[in-house]
Amino acid sequence: MSAGIVDLATAKPGDRVDNEHFTAIGLTDEWIRRRSGIASRSWLPEETPLSEVAAQACAPIVTRAGSAAGIDALIVVSTSERQRIPGIAQRVALLAGLDASVLALDMNAACCGFVYGLVLGLSLCDAGRARTVLVCSTEAMSRMVDRTDRQTACLFGDGSAAVLLADRPEFSGFCHTAGCDGSQEALMRETEAGGIQLDGMQVYDRAVRRMSESAQYLFDHGPAPTVVVGHQANGRILEQIRSFNAHLGVPFVNRIEHSGNTSSATIPLAFAEELDAGGIPAAGRLGAVAYGAGETWGGVAVDYRLPAVATP
Amino acid sequence: MSQSGIESRIADLIVAVLRDRDESLGPDDLNRPVAELDLDSLDLVELHQHLERALRVRGDLNDTARFAYLSDYTAYFSKLASQG
Repeated sequence: MSAGIVDLATAKPGDRVDNEHFTAIGLTDEWIRRRSGIASRSWLPEETPLSEVAAQACAPIVTRAGSAAGIDALIVVSTSERQRIPGIAQRVALLAGLDASVLALDMNAACCGFVYGLVLGLSLCDAGRARTVLVCSTEAMSRMVDRTDRQTACLFGDGSAAVLLADRPEFSGFCHTAGCDGSQEALMRETEAGGIQLDGMQVYDRAVRRMSESAQYLFDHGPAPTVVVGHQANGRILEQIRSFNAHLGVPFVNRIEHSGNTSSATIPLAFAEELDAGGIPAAGRLGAVAYGAGETWGGVAVDYRLPAVATP
Repeated sequence: MSQSGIESRIADLIVAVLRDRDESLGPDDLNRPVAELDLDSLDLVELHQHLERALRVRGDLNDTARFAYLSDYTAYFSKLASQG
C-alpha cells in the first residue's frame, strides 16, 4: 500500500489586518493588491503561543482519527517559532491529545517546510515505521517582519494547517523532488535588526523557475497531479507559474488574497480553502511545489481522499 | 530571420507585455526611460521571463534589471536570439 493525505484541518485565529492598516507606512490598498494579490491577512496576538494554534489545527484530526488510528509521528513545521528548547512539537502533541508514545519533532525548511515534512511523513508510512503521521505547519510570520518595512510588512500572515497521512489501498505512491543552494542564502534572510530582507526581483524570478520545474517533474514522474498548489508567496508569482504551465491542464491554486504569505503553512491553507470553495474535489492527487529561503525548493505529488468534515 | 526581423519581433513582444499592464503604452514608449513608465520591478521580471520564453533563450536578470530603456531589452535579447 501507499500513503496519502486522509484528513486536513486549519486554524487561522487572530486579528484580520486589511490593507488599510499599511497606509501608516505609505502603502495603499491598490498598490498592495497589484504588487502581491493580497487584500488581508491574519496576525496573531503577541501573547498567543504558536503551539496552541498548531494544536487547534491538529486536535480535530486527532479526534476524528480516534485512538485506533495510531498516530505514531507528529512533524511540526515552523520557521517562525522562536523557542528552541524545548521544541514546539511536544507541546502540540500534548495539547492535541496525542498519545505519549508519539515520535514528535520540529522541522524548519522555511517556505519549503510543508513539502519536506510531507516527504518525511510519507516516507515513514511507506517504510512501515508509522501507521499514520500528522504533519502540521504553524507560522506567525507577523512576529518576524519589521512592521514598518514597506517592502515586506504587508506580505506576511499567520496561520496553521495540518494533514494526516495514512496508507490506503487505492493510493498510488508519492513522488518528490527537492534541492537547495546555500550560495543563495542572501536572497531571503532574517536580519540581525529584526525583519526579513528580500531580493524581490531575484526571488520572483527564481521562485517562478523553481516551482515550474518542480511541477513539471511531478508530471513527468508517476501519476499526474489533478491539482497543483504552489507556495503562496505572492499572487503574481502564482499567476506567472499558472501561465507558464497552462499546458499541464490542471488547476493551479491561488488563494493568497486573504491569507498572505504564511511561509510553510501556505500550501495546506490554500489547499483547504480551495477544497472548501469547491474548486477541487475531495479526492485526487495533489502536486505541492515550494520555493523558499536557503535557498530551498521542491515538490511532492501525493494522493488524497478527505472526509466531508475536513473543511476549514 | 534577419537581425531587423528579430528586433521587430522583440519590440512587438515588449509592446504586447506593456499593454497587458497599461493599454495606453505603445511602440513610442520603447525609447522612454523605464523610470518614467508606470512599471514596477516585478513587471520588469515578467517582461524578462516572457521574452526568454518567446525567444527560447536564457538571459541574466542581473543584466536586464539595470536597463534604463525598454529598447535596451531589444538589443540584449536580439543578441541572445541571434546566438541561439
